[in-house]
Amino acid sequence: MADMMMNRRAFVGGSLAASALAALAGCGKKTDGGTTTGGTATDSANVLKFYINNPVAIDPYNTQESEGTQVEHVMFDALTDYDWNTNEIVPKAAEYWDVNDDATEFTFHLVEGATFHNGDPVDAASFKRGWERICDPNMTTPSEIRYHLDPDKGALEMAEGKATELTGVEAVDDYTLKVTLTAPMADFPYICAHPALVPVPQAALDDPEKFLVAPIDNGPFMIDGEWVADQYINLVRYDNYYGTPAAIDGIYFSIQKDPDTAFREFEAGNIDFTSIPSGRMSEISEKYGLSDDGYTVTPGAQVLTGAEASIYYLCVNCEDEVMKDPVIRNAISLAINRQNIIDTVFEGTRVPADCIFPKVIDDDPSNAWENSHYDLEAAAKMLDEKYPAGSDGKRGIKIKLSYNSGGGHEDIMSIIQGDLEKIGIEVQQESLEWAAYLDALGDGNYQIGRLGWIADYPTMDNFLYPNVLSTSENNYSKYVNAEVDKAMNDARQIVDDEERKAAYRKINQMVGADMPIIPVMFYSHNHVGSERLASFFYDAQGKAEFAVAELV
Amino acid sequence: MADKNKAKDQIKEEIDEAKQSTELDMAPSRTLWGDAFQRLKRNKLAVIGACWIVFMVIVALTADLWVPQTLGSPTEIDSTTMTQMSRLPPSLEHPFGTDTLGRDVLCRVIYGARISLAVGVLATAISTLIGLVMGALAAYNGGWWDTLIMRFADIFLAFPYTLFVIAMLAVIGPGIQNVFIAIGVLGWPSIARVFRSAILSVKENDYVDAARAMGASDARIIVRHIFPNSVASIVVYATMNIGGAILTESALSFLGMGVIPPDPSWGIMIQDGQTYLATQPWLMIMPGIAILTTVLAFTLLGDGLRDALDVKMKDA
Amino acid sequence: MIKYIIKRIIQFIPVFLGVTLILFAMQNIVPGDPIKLIAGEKKLDPQTEINLRATYHLIETDENGNPILDENGNTIETPLWKRYISYITGLLHGDLGRSYQQNGKPVTAILGQKYPYTFRLALVAIVIESILGIGAGMISAIKRYSAWDVGVTLVTSTMVAMPAFWFGMLQQLFWGIFLKNVTNGAFYLPISGVGGPHAEFENWVYYILPALTLAAVSTAYTARIMRSQLLEVLNQDYIRTARAKGLSRRAVIWRHALKNALIPVVTYIGMDFGGMLAGAILTETVFNWPGVGFETYRAISQRDWPIVMGSVTVIVIVVMVINLLVDISYAFLDPRIRFDGSKGE
Repeated sequence: MADMMMNRRAFVGGSLAASALAALAGCGKKTDGGTTTGGTATDSANVLKFYINNPVAIDPYNTQESEGTQVEHVMFDALTDYDWNTNEIVPKAAEYWDVNDDATEFTFHLVEGATFHNGDPVDAASFKRGWERICDPNMTTPSEIRYHLDPDKGALEMAEGKATELTGVEAVDDYTLKVTLTAPMADFPYICAHPALVPVPQAALDDPEKFLVAPIDNGPFMIDGEWVADQYINLVRYDNYYGTPAAIDGIYFSIQKDPDTAFREFEAGNIDFTSIPSGRMSEISEKYGLSDDGYTVTPGAQVLTGAEASIYYLCVNCEDEVMKDPVIRNAISLAINRQNIIDTVFEGTRVPADCIFPKVIDDDPSNAWENSHYDLEAAAKMLDEKYPAGSDGKRGIKIKLSYNSGGGHEDIMSIIQGDLEKIGIEVQQESLEWAAYLDALGDGNYQIGRLGWIADYPTMDNFLYPNVLSTSENNYSKYVNAEVDKAMNDARQIVDDEERKAAYRKINQMVGADMPIIPVMFYSHNHVGSERLASFFYDAQGKAEFAVAELV
Repeated sequence: MADKNKAKDQIKEEIDEAKQSTELDMAPSRTLWGDAFQRLKRNKLAVIGACWIVFMVIVALTADLWVPQTLGSPTEIDSTTMTQMSRLPPSLEHPFGTDTLGRDVLCRVIYGARISLAVGVLATAISTLIGLVMGALAAYNGGWWDTLIMRFADIFLAFPYTLFVIAMLAVIGPGIQNVFIAIGVLGWPSIARVFRSAILSVKENDYVDAARAMGASDARIIVRHIFPNSVASIVVYATMNIGGAILTESALSFLGMGVIPPDPSWGIMIQDGQTYLATQPWLMIMPGIAILTTVLAFTLLGDGLRDALDVKMKDA
Repeated sequence: MIKYIIKRIIQFIPVFLGVTLILFAMQNIVPGDPIKLIAGEKKLDPQTEINLRATYHLIETDENGNPILDENGNTIETPLWKRYISYITGLLHGDLGRSYQQNGKPVTAILGQKYPYTFRLALVAIVIESILGIGAGMISAIKRYSAWDVGVTLVTSTMVAMPAFWFGMLQQLFWGIFLKNVTNGAFYLPISGVGGPHAEFENWVYYILPALTLAAVSTAYTARIMRSQLLEVLNQDYIRTARAKGLSRRAVIWRHALKNALIPVVTYIGMDFGGMLAGAILTETVFNWPGVGFETYRAISQRDWPIVMGSVTVIVIVVMVINLLVDISYAFLDPRIRFDGSKGE
């Protein structure tokens, strides 16, 4: 610590007082042992401590963001699960499923004998109950994730209050669940893996307030006590689990404000798995060792850098006077030095984005868009004809670059601003708090904004449909292209996997020509696990596999 | 609150007075302006404070002439050298080190002084102006004017201040102009109270009665007679207020509700540096020292002025 | 005394109404429909939206909570003044409404979870402030003009000029990071959070740094007030008389001067405690403290106005009660003051 500016005298005096106080702290240190919270005592030694931010919801009916999803994914078993090792969709709470020829009817056969941790059976009716809560307009706060169920017959009617049940979902008998869709959708089993589409016991309806903070689940772990907002969520192993019981005794979700705080707790030994604060990747990789596959933590190979199924992009308001010109959009895309952002802010750990599909979703080399690389000259040339540069190098194009404050986007936006000024575009930044920012995007009151998209389920459709379909709510670019809309609806109905993929690749190129969004980078893991983790898998969607995790 | 219990109010006044005091003892007496300046000169701490302020102002005003040439731009990023220049420790070339984007921290601290000083002075000007008008209206008109305005001041003072400023910025949006406005508008009640009591004490004087007897208008009486006689307390109060406004601005920017990047505000720089607390602490230490010294300078100068001008701080 | 308390409460009412009215006005100047905050950006179908508006008292409803429709079959937006009245009515029944964002959780439940942390932190800070502030002030006054006195004056001036959040970070740097490095992890303090089931330290250790940070500025003020009061008392006639009678300086200070000098100090500490209960946004942010200040700040930035309204309401009431208690305590501390009204006017 050569940088600490402290003279000797202050140091001596300070350290005397320091040891006095620290001696107190030493007394305050806990000896490792059992905890007394909740009904079930757990031994700290075999509990995995995992960093999350305060979730929006842990009740599955409203699981909408990464943190809640993380908790839900370990608590609840959905019908299916995506296996990132084999890259295929596999059964979980369902033993197997059947599908009719045109992919409109799916019949799931449930595992028999599974129970919620209050002893209630996990049957077809409990799935129907869980799904109906998502569509129910009379919840105190209605679910924000009904769009997952939109393909189901009856979902819309129920949400509009025209029906009291989800007609497309039918409990044929205790262990057979039949789902009817309004239109063909071969990818439907992928959707069924989402941690929101899970069964709930009758208790969820009887005491919804309690269920919000202490959901009763059907997975390998159950909640101990309840969610203490901004502090922790404590899970313990459920011993009557129908599958292979977990090796660890419990999971302690330590809720921290930001990765910086979390990492300090990690260094203090209070957290076993956390993300690495920006700027410390190389130092920490050296100290803890890089994981071999980028997704699995083992002692000595503890730093994860695997590619994620998520993208960081600029959304462009296609209705804006300036931005509606595709020439400007393409020139901006060419002018952004993506590798430079990644090297400076992320120490080279992310991947420049050249299209809408992250590499783990589809790594076909032909996906790259024509103007998604870095070429300042080409960018300037593109603008020369319509927007000639004045004597001061400026072209009279003024752009406001908006983003949400407090998310660490300031540096990225400052770099982009610098890049754009190089080709004579004048840029002004606007930083808004999240709610105001979303308002601005939603109302079209912006020119260029930033957004990230994390896969709900690892399909190509999930990157296109929600973001660029003209009627999608997440289409903040206000992008309208009837051809793209039609192509997307057609692609959903293709049953053959390869043909469907080819169709999505074509749509990707159609979108790339219009550039309603400007891809910046694909996220990669930047996480580190402690030496206590004997084996721990963290998948490309950012979901931890606690059920098979082992501690030393 | 408008309680009339004398003994109790007296205690509160004593508290406010003591809160402001950094005096190392100066004998109080009646003074004139020239006299006051002599006394100020003898107060070493106040002189140091004044010198520091003058130095900061000169550096901030002349920054464009020499800083970009020697230290580079406070906002622009050189993407070709950025990676190598990122977060360098303090050295001869970069006395305060560099930040994540390779910009010189000293350069940003200097340009940050512009923002802080501007916010301090302008916000204080706004609240002083509003406070003067309100205080004058209340004191001069008396009666229900007085009750209404002072009750209004009570309402503003009953708000938790930081929360109030943040809520106000949430309504009008972030940005430096809005920071001026929010801090300025919400700061008026204290100065209104100070001015009000100053007027009330002057108002009793014979020469005001004399002026009125000679047919002077109310406005004229305030501007020509009352204002000059209360100016001492206003000057002292405003000087101290500048430091407070600078602190508030830094807090707002720290929370991401003030100045917008890439403009270099000290609060933003500390917020940026928080991430690197463990590895590159100078990123947050340097701008913090800038805030500390500047606010301290204004406090010391304010104290000196108060003692020199023999102003009783009735309210804070 | 009772008369005085009632008078104070009556005086408080317009202030309280003013504060809540201003907040209410702000809430309605902010662009954006609360429904967007409640249900997110997703488009709602009309019936759900109407139900939600009814739940949050945004439209007129009958006694059964069903929306009242006008002749065109549209819902009627509740006018602002009616919403304000229903808010105040709810308040009198201990109901602060429901959060827009946290799945409709009642505001009382949210604040109930946060307030204990703010309260306990304020308590620890006040203890620190009293001990350090009074002690430093006393030494400074007794050993006037000594190096101690100059030191205390300089330190207090510095503390007051320091941004609280920066001071907090410096403490984290020293106690948590620097100390840990130089002692090889043997001695250090936790620098964030409040502990919990699997925490490294006992829960009370987590209070040390945030409380020191929160107390910093107030400690400086306490020391200054203590110093100037003690100096003033020591100059008074009865103290000189006592000294002349041959009492030792120490005895005079401890038996006579201190009690009188302490009155304004205690007053200040009492009022300061009220201020701390308002929650310390910056301290709580820096130390990841789950208190009411951070919650309110977050609510403001998420535009969760029911929480903002609720917490400011509670804060203003708490501050008022504490100020009242402080004023009443004068009567016991200072025999010069009586509240029977005979001397008051």
